[in-house]
Order: sequence, then structure tokens, then C-alpha cells
Amino acid sequence: MARVYISSVIDAPVGRVWERVRDFNGLPRWLPLVRESRIENGEPSDRVGCVRDFRLQNGDRLREQLLALSDYDYFCTYSILESPMPLTAYIATLRLTPITDGDRTFAEWSAEFDCAAELAEELVTNIGQNVFQAGFTALKRQMVA
Amino acid sequence: MPRVVRSTVIAEPVETIWAILRDFNGHDQWHPAVAESTIERGQTADRVGCVRRFRLADGSELREKLLTLSDADMAFSYCLLDTPIPLLNYVAHVRLAPVTDGDQTFWHWESRFDTPKGREAELTRLVGEEIYNGGFNAIRGHLAERVR
Repeated sequence: MARVYISSVIDAPVGRVWERVRDFNGLPRWLPLVRESRIENGEPSDRVGCVRDFRLQNGDRLREQLLALSDYDYFCTYSILESPMPLTAYIATLRLTPITDGDRTFAEWSAEFDCAAELAEELVTNIGQNVFQAGFTALKRQMVA
Repeated sequence: MPRVVRSTVIAEPVETIWAILRDFNGHDQWHPAVAESTIERGQTADRVGCVRRFRLADGSELREKLLTLSDADMAFSYCLLDTPIPLLNYVAHVRLAPVTDGDQTFWHWESRFDTPKGREAELTRLVGEEIYNGGFNAIRGHLAERVR
């Protein structure tokens, strides 16, 4: 099983960051990699079990299912149903924690998945840097604005 | 039951901070409130269930028991057994996490406890400011001194 873990400090109160990331259909609004997204079957995006069907800037299509959402603990867990990546059993969690010192946000994004051993390193780097770290870098920029 | 939460970011790798904090008997080396500390019955400080007996700068004596120690999660929990300060049913949790973006450390320290009626605000402030924020600043100072 491969594991990705990326964390960062975002210079904004946790409520503001959560407002941006809690919308399971909202990736195009903050993650530069994502072009468009919709929730299947016209369901609300905070209904646990809902599925987002989204496209990346390069045209790749993914479907992901919301497994858990907490407005109390500020986290969201989801799995990949379909993607062009050669992996299975992918489950990820995006979690925010308040930093009381300075009223900032500690953001953690982690994932676990199965894949062929020789592909693990490349997948971990790709997801960690091009998705998770890129997302945090974008959030840091957006929260200042 | 009051809950106190304090968290901060320290500009050092998580392994450096964990090496200091995981020593349940080491707080007299860095926390300004603690004058001296020993582990009872000659046990090692990483033995879950061990009790640290320590004196504060003002001479008062406390005993705390290690409830959880996790090198995997870089976390530990402890409770107060004896204290002249009326913090009742006090259980605290410390957890570190790496900030991979910049190789720093996120440090989370929280507790729940009961207090005598009317003393919640005073004791909540004491724990949050003197103990937890005071500890954060002391570690920063301790690390700066080590570098020098």
C-alpha cells in the first residue's frame, strides 16, 4: 500500500479555509488542476455518498465519492471510483486544524492506495506535488487575496 | 468541563521536537514552570503507566501519569494524579505533525478538566497561557540556545 502525506500552514482562520474546501463540487474554484465538476444525480455536494464527476485541465476525467464530511472536525474523506491513474483502493482525507497561535490553519492532505510496486514512487510524487501541494499553494495565495 | 486547546508551528523538523517532548521526565530541562522532575520507582520515562513527580518553581509538588506514548503518531497523553492546583480529572494530549511544506512542526496541546465553581476562567487561562503557550515559547528559546 502506498501512502501520500502533505501538510502546510495557511495564513487564514480555519473557518475561512474550510468554507473554500468543504464544497465537494468546488474543486474548480480553488484547485488549479481542475477545469469543471458536477455532482451526479443532482444531489447536494454535502450529501455523504454523493459522487463528483470532474475533468482536469488536460482532459482527464475522474469520479470520486464522498465518504465522510465533518463541519465539526473540518475534514473530508473520499475515494476514487474511476481515474486514468493505474491505482486501486484509493482513499484520501483533507483535514484542517486551527493553529491558535496567530489564528492560522494547519492543513493536511493524505491518501492511501494500491498499485504496482514499480509505479508507487512516481504516483506518490505526482499526487503529492501536483495535486495536494499545488492545492495548498493555491489556497495560500487565494487566502491572502 | 472546560477544554483548553493551544497549537503553534515551530520552525524545526518534527523529529527534533519529538526527541525533546517524548521524554516524559525531560520537562524540567525546558519548561520554565518546572524546577525538577523524577520518574517514580526508577522506571524509564517511556514506560506507559510511569509517574513523574515534579516541583514547580514555587515549590509546589505535582504527580502526573503517562497514559499513552506513540512514536508512530508522535503523540502522548497524561493525567494529573496529585496537585495543589484544583485541576480535577485533568487529562491532556500532545500531538506533533510534520509541516511537509517547509519542514516545520505543528504542535497541538489540549486538555479537559473540572474546576471548583467560579474558577474556570482563571484556571483555563493558567493552563492555556502559562503552561501551553509558555511551553511553546520555552521550546523555541531552548532550541535557539542549543544552536548557539
